[in-house]
Amino acid sequence: MRKFGAVLTLMAILAMIVAGNAGAATKGIVIDGSTTVGPIAKSFAAYFTKKYKVPVTVSESGSGNGAKSLINKSCDIADMSRSMKPQELAAAKSKGVNPVQSVVALDGIAIVVHPSNPVRSLSEAQIADIYSGRITNWRQAGGPNFPIVVIQRESNSGTQETFKDLVLKKAKVVRTAETQASNGAVKNRVSQTPGAIGFLGLGYVDSSVKKVAVNGVFPSVVTVKNRTYPLSRPLFMYTNGRPSGMVAKFVDLPKTPEGQRIIKELGFVPKY
Amino acid sequence: MNLGTRKLLDHSFTALGFGSIIIMGLALLVVLFPIATKGVGAFVFKGTIEHRKLLLSEFHRGDPKEIVKEETETNRYRQKVFDMLAAFDQELDQMDYEQQSKYRSSYDQVKTSLRTLLGPLPGDSEPALTRFQYGQTRWDKAEEKLHGLLYEQKWDYSNPDVIAKPYDVSRAAGFAGTSLVKLFPYVEENLDKMMMPEWTFYWGFFTESSLDAHFFGGIWPEIQGTIFLAIGAMLFAFPLGVIAAIYFTEYARDGFLTSMLRSANSTLAGVPSIVFGLFGLAFFINTLHVSESKSVLAGSLTLAIMILPTIIRAAEEAILAVPKTYKEASLGLGSTKWNTIVTVILPAALPGILTGGVISLGRAAGETAPIIFTAAVSVGAAIGLGDVLTSPTPALSWNIYNLASEHEAAAEIRHVQYGMVLALVTVVLLLNLSAVILRARISKKLKG
Repeated sequence: MRKFGAVLTLMAILAMIVAGNAGAATKGIVIDGSTTVGPIAKSFAAYFTKKYKVPVTVSESGSGNGAKSLINKSCDIADMSRSMKPQELAAAKSKGVNPVQSVVALDGIAIVVHPSNPVRSLSEAQIADIYSGRITNWRQAGGPNFPIVVIQRESNSGTQETFKDLVLKKAKVVRTAETQASNGAVKNRVSQTPGAIGFLGLGYVDSSVKKVAVNGVFPSVVTVKNRTYPLSRPLFMYTNGRPSGMVAKFVDLPKTPEGQRIIKELGFVPKY
Repeated sequence: MNLGTRKLLDHSFTALGFGSIIIMGLALLVVLFPIATKGVGAFVFKGTIEHRKLLLSEFHRGDPKEIVKEETETNRYRQKVFDMLAAFDQELDQMDYEQQSKYRSSYDQVKTSLRTLLGPLPGDSEPALTRFQYGQTRWDKAEEKLHGLLYEQKWDYSNPDVIAKPYDVSRAAGFAGTSLVKLFPYVEENLDKMMMPEWTFYWGFFTESSLDAHFFGGIWPEIQGTIFLAIGAMLFAFPLGVIAAIYFTEYARDGFLTSMLRSANSTLAGVPSIVFGLFGLAFFINTLHVSESKSVLAGSLTLAIMILPTIIRAAEEAILAVPKTYKEASLGLGSTKWNTIVTVILPAALPGILTGGVISLGRAAGETAPIIFTAAVSVGAAIGLGDVLTSPTPALSWNIYNLASEHEAAAEIRHVQYGMVLALVTVVLLLNLSAVILRARISKKLKG
């Protein structure tokens, strides 16, 4: 009898779990990719699930992984903070995937330092020198006599690639640079290290780190939108083929007033 | 060796043993105490009226009448703040441009601080994100934010040759001579009346889904995902592991192949878990296509491979520990080999086999690396049992990492992270405890 009771209890628990989630049985949207686009994707997901009752899952594993997931057809939408590379497009084609890009928002790569650092502005050339190791002390960049701790992102990061394209051009990042795996981790590290310099998506910047003007221009909604901030870039969502149905609705969220408000409140810049 | 030395050695060894046990206990305490205290803070805290408003409108919980009453009460005090803001707005309009720009930016900061404390101010449009629709839901956070309203942290950049030091500037002093000056002492004095903090036991933390990327709400999808993944891994690994162990101990002949297989198994036990994660992605998802995207199924299979070696080794040891006489007696009575294994050896070895299972279960629940690429997502709803084959799920271990490092507002929601840590420790403990109880009952039955 006791065994019977135990089986009954187990069944009841399972039934509860199933019944509790009966509404979630429809096929959801699976999103993977950039940590920079992550906050937007997560907030869109919350809004979308509430409005259309379609479950949306978001992973933040980096732009490179997003592209790989899309190519392997293991996600519906790939968030990317850079556009797809020719190799990725070729790989996609060979697997019968046709990546279609839609712009989610605009973003500026903010150069951030510890709030205690008196440096207000750096030129692109100075930033390139810092990251390539030609400048190793803040004194050489108009700051105090303090060694610079260079913080970069992992190779999988779209922000890292865009930063390298825009600032470093062909130069290599100095070997002593510390690598962090996400925007949040860079922010955390910079906010705790007096000599640190790092780069972040604009939406991640808060008062724990200090933005530095690049070529005299501070990153802000205005300067990113009118492209006077030199490190501006679009953020993308990639789909396999022209999106349709719910995925299309999701990808078109940045064009709706609600979507634009979400983007603005998160600190990013709406494109439309 | 004379008796004195022997005694001395004996005593010193006892002391050493005691010492190491005490150090271990202290280490455990140092680890567990903050987990417990900070984790409990996630669901036992002084909740403000904003917390109760949030529960009512997002989860339809609480007594609407009571909350409306409280709201009117708090609004009475808040209204004065809003009046002061309106008065200052007028004052600002009458100033000339230069004076206006002197106050404008710090006035905006004051407003932003007030918004984080009290929620949207009158005249604001309704924010799209839930995190901006409410003020501070926790009193401890509210007190922190109050400090941010009263004081502005500035950095002394006067000497460009040294690293600057922070200092607090009273915001009230910045508005000296204007009507806004009165706002700061008023808020400081009446904040508790505007927020109505009271001790709250927020059990929804364990049963509700998160809202707006873990800003509010609970962690049920993560807890459920962890349980699904751990149990799923056991479903695959346990039978396989026991069968493999039976093969190794009872059927395999000692030879080159067997020793190769054994050492392969030991090597597998030492492989870093991230390698299993990547293997799972490459093999289960990209090659076998067990599911279209990441899924609980793919994650469970990956975890199963990771814990398989432990289960095999434990089961092997347990089977080998069964006294040979049992087997001989059974065979001597004319039983077949298979029959002996099923009815004599396995039951006698079961407690030992289960121990291996218990250890593996805890490991499967706590591992992060194998599920990053195969099952875990940072945001998602709780999935139903019917979705485990196709849907990915949030899981405690991965989401703790996500909240600790990747989340855009990690510093704002530390309490959720601590709560998740406590939940993970508790889930692992409960899974282990139930397995231990099961084990105890089985060995009791065997003896009786």
